Amino acid sequence: MADYIKFVDVTKCDGCRACMVACKNWNDLPTVTEEYSGSYQSHEKVNAHTWNVITYNEHTTANGGFEWLFRHQSCLHCVEAACEKACPEDAISHTKFGSVVIDHDKCVGCGYCTTNCTFDVVELATYKDKNGKEYRKAQKCTLCTDRLEQGLQPACVVACHTDCLVYDEKETVLAEAEKRLAKIKERFPNANIYNPQGIKGTTTVYLLADKPSVYGLPENPKVPLSQVVWKDYAQPLGKAMFGATTMAVVGAVIANAMKKDKGGHEEGGRDHE
Amino acid sequence: MEVNVTRRQFLKLSGAVAATLAVVELGFDEKSAKAKSSEFKIAKIKPTPTICPYCSVGCGILVYATEDDVVYTEGDPDHPINEGTLCSKGTTVRQVYTSEKRITKPMYRAPGSSKWEEVDWEFALDKVTKNIKESRDKAFTHMKDGYPVNRTDNIAYLGGAALDNEECHLLHKFFRAGLGLTYIEHQARI
Repeated sequence: MADYIKFVDVTKCDGCRACMVACKNWNDLPTVTEEYSGSYQSHEKVNAHTWNVITYNEHTTANGGFEWLFRHQSCLHCVEAACEKACPEDAISHTKFGSVVIDHDKCVGCGYCTTNCTFDVVELATYKDKNGKEYRKAQKCTLCTDRLEQGLQPACVVACHTDCLVYDEKETVLAEAEKRLAKIKERFPNANIYNPQGIKGTTTVYLLADKPSVYGLPENPKVPLSQVVWKDYAQPLGKAMFGATTMAVVGAVIANAMKKDKGGHEEGGRDHE
Repeated sequence: MEVNVTRRQFLKLSGAVAATLAVVELGFDEKSAKAKSSEFKIAKIKPTPTICPYCSVGCGILVYATEDDVVYTEGDPDHPINEGTLCSKGTTVRQVYTSEKRITKPMYRAPGSSKWEEVDWEFALDKVTKNIKESRDKAFTHMKDGYPVNRTDNIAYLGGAALDNEECHLLHKFFRAGLGLTYIEHQARI
């Protein structure tokens, strides 16, 4: 299967927010009401029940004019995902589509992924079980993995009417991105393609009209070394130790039992092996 | 130390070790142990095509409805106007049915009253009929400047984008030819 990625050309976005509604519609997410912040932006950032948000950057142009810089903000599905490394329960994994998904049967709501996410897009949602007890699960964009499995495109991409959001084969998309970049360079001299290599690229590639920092994106993100050490070395070692300890304890119990058994045999003398 | 293990003891011990290993292994390898089993939410639903009720563009929408619920709505990819896309308002069309704020019974606010109350359809329709008849008759003009006009200036009619072409045609006939209205307008002329 060819690699497919989501492409966001922010210069084509007109801020209609159809992608936000389409996401809520497909994923059956409830309303999140936030206080008016003085901006046209609806939510401050993505949250546990709002998996994508159009950010409205107020920007002054070179000749003193005003323009919006929109960005479809959601999970970028990093190839090397810090959330996956941070998760102590192995609840976060990559699918064959490159999407990073959370297994809610395994998630214990510890929140390590929310603090370690490179782009601050994971949040904990609070639910109540039937006894009224509260519990938490990490929530974020799934790239509509359930739709991808059925050969459909993500809900946000389907809704987008300006071709700002595109889901297509990686090579096609990246070639198209270069073409579009050349076209907009004159109007936006700082324009760039955002596909950070420090985390081995992302499954959502942006064409930004200005420097990543203008959009609140890290210029060159990396998964912290501590996370790599924790996940790739410390955790497996810990688990091996746990296994070894378990086996030692069980082994000792059995050996003890057998010793007693043996004692019994010596007294009774009914050993017929 | 002399190791004196009988055959039964050896089997017991190796069995226990294997069992422990199996448990430990299972605990380690949950990833492959569990397959995804959530059901695709529009798997068994045949979508119904409709037209967006909001503005005059008239985008096509596919409605995925079960017996008693609308589970998803999406732009109709085969529709020539929107080709599968929708705006944020059109995307919310599912809430026309599912919203808790939706009014499902006729509401009546009596003259001078400050609150709405639920009434039955019979009352509501009777009331509307009576008021239309009264208003119409009160200001009905048969002749104007020697010409027969047969019109009433007391009532105006406002249509909405939820009406399709044929409905508009019928309503227009009913209000202009039937009741004699001249103030007939439509919301969707932006």
